[in-house]
Amino acid sequence: MNSENHVKVAIIGAGPSGIGLALGLAKRGVKSVLLIDRNEEIGGIPSVYKKKQGGVRTFINLIRGRVVFGEQYTQWLAGKLAKAEPAIWLKSKVIEVEPSEKRITLINPDQGKVHVTANAVVMACGARENSSIELGWLSGTRTGRTFFSKTLLELMDHHNVLPIKQPVIVGSDLNAYAAAAKLRTMGASNATILDTRSRPKSPLYSRIYFQRWKSYPKYHGKVKSARFIGNGAASAIEVNNSMTIPCDGIVLSGDLIPNSELAMLAHMNVEVHSRKPVVNSDYQLSEPGWFATGNILGGFHSAEWCYLHGKRVAKFVATYLKNNK
Amino acid sequence: MKSQIDVSGRIFYEWPDEGCRKEMRFSDPSQLAEEPYDVVIIGAGVVGSALAYKLSQYKLRLLLVDKNYDVGEGTSKGSSAIIHTGFDAAVGTLESQLVTKASIMWPELIENLKIPFQQCGAVLIAVDNEQYNQLEKIHQKAIDNGVTDVKVLTSGEVKELVPNVSPEARGGMSIPRESIIDAFSIPIAFSEVALANGTDILLGVEIVDVEDADKSIKKIVTASGKSIPTKLIVNVAGLGSSKITPKYNGKFFDLNPRRGQFIIYDEFSRSMVDKILLPIPTAQTKGVLVIPTISGNLLAGPTAEDFPLDDETAADTTIDGLELMLKGASRLMPSLKDLPRIGSFAGIRCACSQGTYQIRYNDGHPGILTVSGIRSTGVTSSPALAEYLVEGLAKECGLSLVKNPEATDSRPENRWPGWWKRPYENNGAVKNRPEYGRIICNCENISQGEIIDALSSPLQPFTLDAIKRRTWTQTGRCQGFDCMAKIAKIISEHCNIPLNKITKKGPGSEIAC
Ligand SMILES: Cc1cc2nc3c(=O)[nH]c(=O)nc-3n(C[C@H](O)[C@H](O)[C@H](O)COP(=O)(O)OP(=O)(O)OC[C@H]3O[C@@H](n4cnc5c(N)ncnc54)[C@H](O)[C@@H]3O)c2cc1C
Ligand SMILES: Cc1cc2nc3c(=O)[nH]c(=O)nc-3n(C[C@H](O)[C@H](O)[C@H](O)COP(=O)(O)OP(=O)(O)OC[C@H]3O[C@@H](n4cnc5c(N)ncnc54)[C@H](O)[C@@H]3O)c2cc1C
Repeated sequence: MNSENHVKVAIIGAGPSGIGLALGLAKRGVKSVLLIDRNEEIGGIPSVYKKKQGGVRTFINLIRGRVVFGEQYTQWLAGKLAKAEPAIWLKSKVIEVEPSEKRITLINPDQGKVHVTANAVVMACGARENSSIELGWLSGTRTGRTFFSKTLLELMDHHNVLPIKQPVIVGSDLNAYAAAAKLRTMGASNATILDTRSRPKSPLYSRIYFQRWKSYPKYHGKVKSARFIGNGAASAIEVNNSMTIPCDGIVLSGDLIPNSELAMLAHMNVEVHSRKPVVNSDYQLSEPGWFATGNILGGFHSAEWCYLHGKRVAKFVATYLKNNK
Repeated sequence: MKSQIDVSGRIFYEWPDEGCRKEMRFSDPSQLAEEPYDVVIIGAGVVGSALAYKLSQYKLRLLLVDKNYDVGEGTSKGSSAIIHTGFDAAVGTLESQLVTKASIMWPELIENLKIPFQQCGAVLIAVDNEQYNQLEKIHQKAIDNGVTDVKVLTSGEVKELVPNVSPEARGGMSIPRESIIDAFSIPIAFSEVALANGTDILLGVEIVDVEDADKSIKKIVTASGKSIPTKLIVNVAGLGSSKITPKYNGKFFDLNPRRGQFIIYDEFSRSMVDKILLPIPTAQTKGVLVIPTISGNLLAGPTAEDFPLDDETAADTTIDGLELMLKGASRLMPSLKDLPRIGSFAGIRCACSQGTYQIRYNDGHPGILTVSGIRSTGVTSSPALAEYLVEGLAKECGLSLVKNPEATDSRPENRWPGWWKRPYENNGAVKNRPEYGRIICNCENISQGEIIDALSSPLQPFTLDAIKRRTWTQTGRCQGFDCMAKIAKIISEHCNIPLNKITKKGPGSEIAC
């Protein structure tokens, strides 16, 4: 392959939204689509959540009316994608984009640094979890065994390592309860869950995931401050300068931050604080011909929502291509 | 029998279980030199490792010991990473002399040691009349310290040099040679060269006692009860030094940690500031600096908060501390109040009530040197201080210095850190080693190849933090969300250590309990 490639549409990110987008384009007869992901496999976040005996299923597949493991969800996406036949480049990290030339620069082990130009580019880069400083109410030493729920899941589901036996989880959303339940199935004790809100953000998931054990994670609400304690690894967390909760590891599961850096780097409009890229009603970014779909838009959306969103945005991309031949 | 000087030193880690490469585990002093060492250096911070570097230029049997599982993991890991000119040091002191001398040595040293460095310059900024009135005095002090290239600035000139500066800026002073450096690399580079010149290195080994301090052959004793013979002992154990002095009857001094907290801003803020911004110290406070980092971030800090020795919260970051820094930094540059922050950290200075730069030859007994209280300028002064100590050891302790013609003063060309040289920019390099094209740290764009290079580098480190300091992985805006588990996996495979035994910074910090 030469170092300058041209495609009709380049999609950055092969998670649910990027795949949805590729399918939507195929349905509209758009040929020459390149789907790019830095990971070794497609699927984005769902691909991290492996199928496990006795495990916890957290991905709702409305289309088939089932709740499945992330791995199964990814397989379902892969099956759909096989019919669309886009070009797929994995282990390919996009490091830079050039808006006016609609060019992206990526690195992969086979080709090194390569440029790709396109008639339209879609950012389907997903989101990540907040670090402790971004949450604003956590302090202390950065101890060992402090994980994001995704890192924890990578260790548990991919590598079969149980990092924590007595967990404290910061945050009370779906991810927090999913992490708590997964830890429990692997033999950890029930987690203690902390949040600034008086009631958990997603109490429903506590009920759904923990029904089978009939005992639920303990919730500490209205937390004003929390301090990590531990020399080598986390050994406790001190809440509101008074209560100390012993633990052997901490999981951070906060709100999500959009992976909008590529857009920021190229001086497209991105809200400074939320890091949400600014889009119009066609999900076009501040540069014409650049689109965004899925969790990069901000908020917390399910995989299914992102998949369907990608399909929707495909319509706008196809229209753009038609109008800008 | 080995020749008197080994071609290359040995490195071992004292580690309780299979969390360490087998061949690197320290279990018995017989793994070390057969004869007593000429000098044992306790403490591998910037100062101890610089001393090992300088001494390794001579025909000497040397041992460098540290209790942590990498070099430079004490005070030296949490600094502002500024190479000072010494413009504001107390005139005429040893500290001022050494800092001024070292600031001239660094531009050449970094080429030899392959340490990322940038002479970005600093601007001292007065934001009120009280501060403005001090400028002349500070300017004179700089001249007296031999830093003659400083220049007093009008408010207009300050605004030109620092476009985003506070509208309150009344004036200032430029200090063109203040520089930023990859401070993580300093003790690593010094130690690697010392190792290449035959210095032995023991990590994870805490020295708890000294036997036969009054004899010509003394013994240092490790926490696990091993004793290692040596002719001279240098105690440069930073905040740990005052615990060792009583073991050899050294003169009393007391230390305490003085915390400095920092905020780390997102890389996007870096484009707003390319110089170090210094506040003018007032009677109440030294003030908060704004510091561009060599790796492309922006820091605000540090605080100065005193704690008793051994206080476990001394290295914590606090919510109040962060508020304080935001306030201070936004006085210099108001937009810093609202820019996205990605992390925080705290360093702990070694504050000594007997004064800074405590240097005591033949402390307690002949042949023992205590160096302590290197509080605020050790990153800068280390090479000059080490030279000074080498001369002192010869003069005061009778150390015989015979140049080793085979010794090197440089790291090889391939030891420039990957994040600085960017191997992916070179398609030939990727072709030869596709691992350079496999990005693992997505924030800093660090490849698998660079991580493996760090693992195979001379000290053969294998903790997550040691890899962090060599590659800058896990330091970006995602703070390890994407790369931490992947890096643990790479370490596990490369070093043949079970994944659950990979640690953040040594035994007790395993990723699985
Ligand atoms: C920790 C976590 C747990 C979650 N758990 C659940 C759950 O249990 N159930 C559920 O329904 N939803 C869950 N979600 C929500 C989840 O994000 C969505 O379900 C869905 O995966 C989002 O789809 P996406 O395609 O927008 O983003 P992602 O799935 O995040 O995919 C984005 C893809 O883009 C790639 N990428 C990003 N930047 C680049 C670049 N520069 N170059 C190349 N590739 C790039 C990434 O590698 C990734 O594969 C979770 C989210 C997180 C963060
Ligand atoms: C917030 C802050 C900002 C700073 N900014 C700057 C700056 O911008 N520029 C500058 O020049 N300087 C700066 N400094 C100062 C500089 O960091 C220090 O002067 C320097 O790091 C001191 O180095 P050291 O080798 O003396 O101590 P350390 O780095 O603490 O080394 C001592 C070593 O001894 C080891 N040790 C302790 N006890 C034992 C034992 N019993 N057995 C074996 N090993 C032991 C420790 O593990 C440690 O590695 C700053 C410091 C701080 C805290």
